[in-house]
Amino acid sequence: MDQLLPFTIAGLVTGSIYAVTASGLVVTYTTSGIFNFAHGAIGMFAAFTYWELRVNRHLPAPVALFLVLFVIAPLMGALIERVLMRHLDRAQVVTSLVVTIGLTVMLIGLAQGVWKPEARAMPQFFGDGGFRVAGTFVSWHQTITVILAGGVAAILWYLLTKTRLGVAMRAVVDDRNLASLTGAQPHRISMLSWAIGSSLAALGGILIAPVLQLETIILTFLVINAYAAAMVGRLRSLPLTFVGAFALGLTEAYMIGYVDLKGFWQGLRPSLPTLLLFVILLAMPEERLRANLGRAAGGKAPRVPSLRESLIGVGVLVAAAGLVSFVLGAGDIQRVSQGLAIGVIMLSLVVLTGYGGQVSLAQLTFAGFGAFAMAEWGGGGSIFGLVLAAAIAAPIGALVALPALRLQGLYLALATMAFAVMAREMIFVDKRFFGFNSSLPVGRLDLGPISFDGEVAYMLLLAVVFGLVGVFVLWIRRGPFGRVLSAMGDSPAACATLGLDLTRTKLAVFAISAAMAGLGGALLGGVKSVAGPTDFEVLQNLPILLLAVVGGITTVSGALIGGLSLAVLPVLQERVPDLAGIVFLLTGAAAVSLGRNPNGIAFFLAETFGRFVPWRRGSRGSAEAEAGPPATEEVRKVAVA
Amino acid sequence: MPSRKPSEPAAPPLLECREVKVSFGGIHALSDATLVADRGMVTGLIGPNGAGKTTLFNAITGLHPPDTGLVRLDGEDISQVRPHRRARMGIARTFQRLEVFGSLTVRENVLVAGEIWRRWSKNNEVDVAAQAEELIERVGLRHLARERVDSLPTGPARLVEMARALATNPRIMLMDEPGSGLNEAETDEFAGLLIDLAEEGLAILLVEHDVELVMRVCKRIFVLDFGRMIAEGTPKEIQRNKAVQAAYLGTAA
Repeated sequence: MDQLLPFTIAGLVTGSIYAVTASGLVVTYTTSGIFNFAHGAIGMFAAFTYWELRVNRHLPAPVALFLVLFVIAPLMGALIERVLMRHLDRAQVVTSLVVTIGLTVMLIGLAQGVWKPEARAMPQFFGDGGFRVAGTFVSWHQTITVILAGGVAAILWYLLTKTRLGVAMRAVVDDRNLASLTGAQPHRISMLSWAIGSSLAALGGILIAPVLQLETIILTFLVINAYAAAMVGRLRSLPLTFVGAFALGLTEAYMIGYVDLKGFWQGLRPSLPTLLLFVILLAMPEERLRANLGRAAGGKAPRVPSLRESLIGVGVLVAAAGLVSFVLGAGDIQRVSQGLAIGVIMLSLVVLTGYGGQVSLAQLTFAGFGAFAMAEWGGGGSIFGLVLAAAIAAPIGALVALPALRLQGLYLALATMAFAVMAREMIFVDKRFFGFNSSLPVGRLDLGPISFDGEVAYMLLLAVVFGLVGVFVLWIRRGPFGRVLSAMGDSPAACATLGLDLTRTKLAVFAISAAMAGLGGALLGGVKSVAGPTDFEVLQNLPILLLAVVGGITTVSGALIGGLSLAVLPVLQERVPDLAGIVFLLTGAAAVSLGRNPNGIAFFLAETFGRFVPWRRGSRGSAEAEAGPPATEEVRKVAVA
Repeated sequence: MPSRKPSEPAAPPLLECREVKVSFGGIHALSDATLVADRGMVTGLIGPNGAGKTTLFNAITGLHPPDTGLVRLDGEDISQVRPHRRARMGIARTFQRLEVFGSLTVRENVLVAGEIWRRWSKNNEVDVAAQAEELIERVGLRHLARERVDSLPTGPARLVEMARALATNPRIMLMDEPGSGLNEAETDEFAGLLIDLAEEGLAILLVEHDVELVMRVCKRIFVLDFGRMIAEGTPKEIQRNKAVQAAYLGTAA
């Protein structure tokens, strides 16, 4: 038991950091109603800025700290609110989630561009100094961390309950319009809350960087721990958030100290915060269906091509792939193949998000299961493997969604991300799966007489498969199930009052979408002929969602554009190595711009060039139009009546 | 009061709300809402803005179940039944702030409702496509059938919601300010449609600000003010009621 004290101290310290970070999340959410996915990324960016000032520019710690916490971070927060979030007021969860995920990815790209990835030491406060308590060494950094957490708690409590401003902040949450009638200025208050939130994120980042590592991705994903803690207070209660943060910090510390994890359970520790997040999400009471939160009206949306048109599209795609094969070298052909395979995964999002209005941050994870199925049972490229890839991913998709189905929009998205983390840390690395630091060979389809082993053949195969899956997606959209999905995306509340069982419908669409992602994963594995856990990183789920949305989440062509972009963007980086993080930067920037134009590139192209295509113009009248921007109901508390 | 089946031999009213209470974070949106609505007639529910009419609709349809109090359908307590189950028992509604399926056409809006209905009712004899056409015709939207609903003005969009609700072949329909957005001629036609539907046996509970319309089509009217029912009666009785004049029509009346 002589270990108890040191681990308790370590737990309290990390708990304090989680508490600081999570309380920033709560402040922003309660006031602006936007769930800031980029919270961790802001903290990461601020930590790097602090390092720059402190280490590179040799500023004294207090000066650097003051500059970051009270100047740079708040300005960043205010700027983000002013430029990006303001017109997202009351926007749908999907859009605000995509924009803040875009911001996350953009900040990662920016940070990697400015601070080239390399090992950096983040200094602790007062160096290595400290004191001893009952024989246990406690550093000044740890002491300060705990004190700061206490200070943050006290200041926030005072601010929110004792000041006019705090009362106004809480009023804005309850009813923005009402609050503005009484003289509060929602925009300024919201801006202020973003400034405070960013400052807290910055403090969290600066405190944890010496403990963890000054690295973009690690620090960005600190946000998951913050979510877990904040979710204990349902994103609203600061005291409960602190409870959650300390519970998480202590559990982590004690697990290091007392639990010897072996085999499969080794992945438990890194996925502990997500596991906690998942459990809390499951324990949350069912949300009420909210009426009156439908999509932004008047949005134009692309029309749905007829079967004939979509078959023509497949022909054009395959022909284009054929032509391209004469021009490109083997490496580039592989890129195109990769883009097409990712395109299939993105098609799964067209059905799920574009039509059904559900968000998933685990499509690449479903793809991972598909790739595994192909590797395990599709030896030598048997078509049986492809079928199994879809067949196995479907129930997994349903299973992930099942407990989370009572949840809507945001929470559902978080639950899928939690699953993605657990699958990556605990399942994919298991030796019965890909194995830690290892990979499995994945075959390319071989139909006996026809083998698709060659690069060109495989690319053509992928073009055909993408086309057929696209036809399938459009077939869904034109039929009864597609109508139900679009209806659910537009207004879940109205669907329920028509007698639709939303839970079953969501289950079905998750299963279908996961099956498509699984198929895409099996094909993607075939591109490089191997697949391992690192091919299905949690982070990579974000560009998949973002580029699918950027391409156009409601259209098949959008998935094509998105998939090809995701495959081709890295080429840019290879050719110009100085542009570290450029992929993230561009992806993020594009996604962020969607706040203003939610329909994506495919729609823009169709609008611009569509009028020059005669057979389209003729059929415009019969346009049974396609789903526009997906709508899910807002999670915020909104006064009805 | 524990729920018990009414022992009277007479058939219970189709819809009955008894002392329904709903609060949002300490504010009572509804403190005592009691009303009945029966088959074959239009029942009015009026009251000033913020009186709790939409909240009562949400309590009846289950979107926001009552904290306490009873909602009975055909004598059965449904106050804790989930929304889609209530819909399957025959409750349909329209929304004050539109909840149309904006990305679908008028036809698809009505069709999808019919398709949803067909699945849970397991009724395979009705041709839902034909039924959708009939309903579109009936609410007078034939000429707009191919339009996307998010491109429609409010008036027709409300009619889409009505046709959509009717596509589930309900026993009672709750209509939340269906008249706003309609011009005079359309309102006339709409009043006729309501009366026809009621004569066919449908129960209609109508929330409406257009007092003239309410007085014209309703057999009984309930008046809600600050979350409680302050009056009920025939249109004539309501017009004469002092409390109603004070609360609803303003003290000047």
